[in-house]
Amino acid sequence: MISIEGLHKRFPSGLEVLRGINLTIGDGEVVSLIGRSGSGKTTLLRCINFLEEYDAGEIRLDGAVLWYRTGVGGVRTRMPGPAIRALRQQMGIVFQQFNLFPHMTAMENVCLGPTFAHKRPAAEVKDLAQRLLERVGLGAKMRSYPYQLSGGEQQRVAIARALAMRPKVMLFDEITSALDPELVGEVLEVIRSLVLERMMMVIVTHELRFAREISHRIAFLSKGQITEIGPPAELLDNPQDPALKEFLRHVR
Amino acid sequence: MLQLLLIGACYTLGLAVAGIAFGTVLGLLLTPLSFVRCRPLRALYHVYVFFTRGTPLLVLALLIFYGLPALNFSQGPYVAGTIVLTIYSSAFFAEVFRGGVLAIQRTHLESGRSLGLPPLAFLRRIIAPLALRYALPPYVNVCVMMVKASSILSIISVWELTLAAREIIERTLLVFTVLGIAAAFYFLMCFGVDRLGRLAERYLMRRGFVGEHA
Repeated sequence: MISIEGLHKRFPSGLEVLRGINLTIGDGEVVSLIGRSGSGKTTLLRCINFLEEYDAGEIRLDGAVLWYRTGVGGVRTRMPGPAIRALRQQMGIVFQQFNLFPHMTAMENVCLGPTFAHKRPAAEVKDLAQRLLERVGLGAKMRSYPYQLSGGEQQRVAIARALAMRPKVMLFDEITSALDPELVGEVLEVIRSLVLERMMMVIVTHELRFAREISHRIAFLSKGQITEIGPPAELLDNPQDPALKEFLRHVR
Repeated sequence: MLQLLLIGACYTLGLAVAGIAFGTVLGLLLTPLSFVRCRPLRALYHVYVFFTRGTPLLVLALLIFYGLPALNFSQGPYVAGTIVLTIYSSAFFAEVFRGGVLAIQRTHLESGRSLGLPPLAFLRRIIAPLALRYALPPYVNVCVMMVKASSILSIISVWELTLAAREIIERTLLVFTVLGIAAAFYFLMCFGVDRLGRLAERYLMRRGFVGEHA
């Protein structure tokens, strides 16, 4: 379970991008974050695995406070590097694009984490990577370099690479936004299969139809706050927040 | 005459290769300084690059040629010449490598971080290979420059292609013939360096390093 409490973040430019986010994601739950660009949804996602620092608030994973320590006198400091790395290994993230390391084959990309972060034996890692790549439908392209793969295939390898770390949660940041329309389906199919496995997921997306289909809850962000959250049918068909109504009118 | 110029060319090549090799090592050691958190070290890096790059090679050569004996370290013109080329090229190489690191896609760095890779593996498996790939074309560029820059060393009595040419001209007065042949030798050496660079690029392309960020 992930619980986020009172998250605040200000960019160096002074813009307050997150203004008190409270959100709890249960085990096996899928929560989609929607909202206009600039609403803070991607920043929120990046805060969860500390690709962004935040100024106030707390993120917990299974009860343990992440990323910052509060010492005597209430001084807030970053956790030491090894602790941060250990925590990051429990979360997988896939970005919009340029996920894969271009100088490694699909197989090498997937093996990287388990080999160097988990230091597991090579044979075991290879076995795991093979199974994961087969699972995302790329058993035949294990030796391909990223430039030899389509955008959709690259994203599927990226998902397999994140899964290889056996994460407790998967974070997806608009992973189909840079894809040609005909390649979106194959990527979403992989995410569907993760839902069936009861993987905890946080998904930033513009695909409202997909969000409706797979999410247990959808959160609408506006100006750095979650102004409405609820089951897809409720939130999308009977929106209360005027900003959400406006957003939905534009999207449809 | 041709034979003497050919030997001169070999000396030039030897000096350039030595300068490039040592300069590359020094450059590789310098580049990380530009990325450390510690401010004085970063400042040290920039001061070194600023002064080394900002000094004309001729001035640097004279400085070292006359400076070394003053420090009770005189090992003859060849050692001095190699040191000159090493210092001079190291500043350029360091900047070339720094540019390579800066060219790495943000998401590639973030992917590595999100996998929780230990620092050494991160450096060896992701940063170094990507940065060196992006740095390859400007690296070859500096190498070509160094082959030609070695001609300056003739001023500090390093016998190489240019000094050989000058000696022959003094004896024979065949200015244009001799200089023409020397120029042709320089061209051939630079051309060779350039070809080697292309070969390396093509090899890397098969290993997944494509030109653009794909």
